Amino acid sequence: MVSSIKARVALFYILVLFVILSVLGIFLYFSLSRIVYDSIDSSLLSKAKALATLVKDSGDETEFNFSDEVMWEYNSSRSLSFFQIRRVDGKILEKSESVGNLELPFSHYADKTAFQTIHFKGKIVRMINFHVPADEEHSKKEHGLIIQCAEGIGDQIDLLKTYRIVLSLSVFVIMIVSSFGGFLIARKALTPVKEISQTIDKISETNLSERISSNSIPEELKVLASSFNRTFDRLERSFNRQRQFVSDASHELRTPLSVILSQSEIILRRERSAEEYKDGLTAILEASRLMSHIVRKLLTLARLGGDKVELKMENRDLVAIINEAVGLLKPLATPKGITINLSADEQHVISGDRAALLELFTNIIDNAIKYNLPQGEIDISIKKEQGFVVIEVKDTGIGIHEKDLDNVFDRFYRADKSRSKEIGGIGLGLSICDEIVKLHGGKINIKSKLHEGTIVTVYLRGAKN
Amino acid sequence: MRILIVEDEKSLADIIKKGLEEEDYAVDVAYNGEDGLFMAENEPSDLIILDIMLPIVDGMTILKRIRKAGVKTPVLMLTAKDTLTDKVSGLDSGADDYLTKPFEFEELLARMRALLRRNSEAKTSMIEIGDLVINMATHEVKRRGKDISLSAKEYVLLEFMAMNKNKVLSRTALTEHLYDYNFDLDSNVIDVFVHRVRSKIDRGFEKKLIHTLRGSGYMLKD
Repeated sequence: MVSSIKARVALFYILVLFVILSVLGIFLYFSLSRIVYDSIDSSLLSKAKALATLVKDSGDETEFNFSDEVMWEYNSSRSLSFFQIRRVDGKILEKSESVGNLELPFSHYADKTAFQTIHFKGKIVRMINFHVPADEEHSKKEHGLIIQCAEGIGDQIDLLKTYRIVLSLSVFVIMIVSSFGGFLIARKALTPVKEISQTIDKISETNLSERISSNSIPEELKVLASSFNRTFDRLERSFNRQRQFVSDASHELRTPLSVILSQSEIILRRERSAEEYKDGLTAILEASRLMSHIVRKLLTLARLGGDKVELKMENRDLVAIINEAVGLLKPLATPKGITINLSADEQHVISGDRAALLELFTNIIDNAIKYNLPQGEIDISIKKEQGFVVIEVKDTGIGIHEKDLDNVFDRFYRADKSRSKEIGGIGLGLSICDEIVKLHGGKINIKSKLHEGTIVTVYLRGAKN
Repeated sequence: MRILIVEDEKSLADIIKKGLEEEDYAVDVAYNGEDGLFMAENEPSDLIILDIMLPIVDGMTILKRIRKAGVKTPVLMLTAKDTLTDKVSGLDSGADDYLTKPFEFEELLARMRALLRRNSEAKTSMIEIGDLVINMATHEVKRRGKDISLSAKEYVLLEFMAMNKNKVLSRTALTEHLYDYNFDLDSNVIDVFVHRVRSKIDRGFEKKLIHTLRGSGYMLKD
């Protein structure tokens, strides 16, 4: 099957044109042929009638009063005008000299006038069988006469043949010219499509900002162009986000990797004391731990963001999960003298994945501990609100500057880099939380005041009963 | 040769310092941008190794500030930022070289040597002064084909004088370029070292290379 639109349009156009031209050609040919035959036939009829007037038939006897004037036309043996007179039973009574020893064929008994085209003396000949009924007084039906009058029509046949050839040739030439025209028209009509596709071809990984300009595009294709542009906008955004993420991730991994590389390279340059080896290995171990922590978090994020997220959505007791998270993090809170208060007046059941929810609340509470002041407090409250279960985690920590609040969910974003480094934050915790909450159809908000504390609010859908 | 490292990742800064000291460089370290800027402006260094992402004042700001203040010390940027834009803007802001993390220590050393000899007449890591040959990569010294054994401090002194040959070097200048910030400046120590180096490279040769200029300092002359 032809796959190009241009070829298809042209082909369809040619086909339609061919059908129209053929029908027209056939119609023209048959009209002319009808006219030609009608004129031959009417001339034959008048000749036959003329002959009939010269014949007197009284049943048993037939009289011919042919004058030379009438006969000259039929007398030459080379003449292409013939006549022959028969009885209705087929008996030949008289024939012209031009017929010679032959006879004009008599194929059917007919008591009415009929025309036929026959081959006679190697020529194409048109013949009339003109029926002359017998005089009424001696009437016996079989006594009627048939006047056969014929004429060569080679010239007219040749004319029709030429006409047929001219018509066919015209159709052929018109077809070729029109196909070319059709192809040009199709191409012209498709030029904007080609332009669009060329622009799209130019858009590649490195050049995602290119767009289809809507100026030179016809109305019909503007919709297509603008939906392409919107798709490219989305692609570009997601691609840039991805690129930024990869570059941030590699950047985060470079520093611990440099430590590992430099430590081992420099330590191995010469013989060392046991103490020096130990120091070097300790530094390498710390850097490796940081790297493995970053990699683990990155994998969590990648898994949550992938298309095959395996979440076991079942009804879960939210209070129990939060209690478990608090239990896991107590060992980090206690040395800083931080107290964690959990207030839940009733049971809250939500539909979710246990591991993901545990990760979510561990991250939030871990942040509340990390960025808290010594002897600080963390209040966790759970309540119902318009079909949502609302969990609020409030700390008395250092807070986040207003200008940083919009970015805290961005990957690798840390409001205060040097402080984060001391604390061990790598800037992925809240991104992970955001992904988990989104996967559960909820939302997460963060409010904060510098030096006063931060409130993280999570909205999760309550389980349907 | 005295090197300033400005790097906030403490364990990385410390191990580079250790590695460089073992290569007989005098090394100062600043762990944040503010200290780094202060030391770059006020301490005489022969080379600055500068990170970009730094707390308080970032590396690019330090670079622009010291270049504006007329500090011509070569700067080698050592950073995790590896995009073309980062490299171009670093070099355009006055950095002399750019090395991305993670890096090979050997490469850092080679790039440092290249930057350090840029201001001297030496074009390779071999310096020749008359019949005295100093190999800066291996720290081997020969005079008229004969190996001369020098201690680390003696070598550093000779190398610095060789890179500034035919220039008068004061005792203070020598001390500042050969010892780090924590060294207690006592110029007598320099006299002792110059004396030792002179006895090793000039004794037994007719042509003396190290000259004393009374009241101003020393000079290595070919």
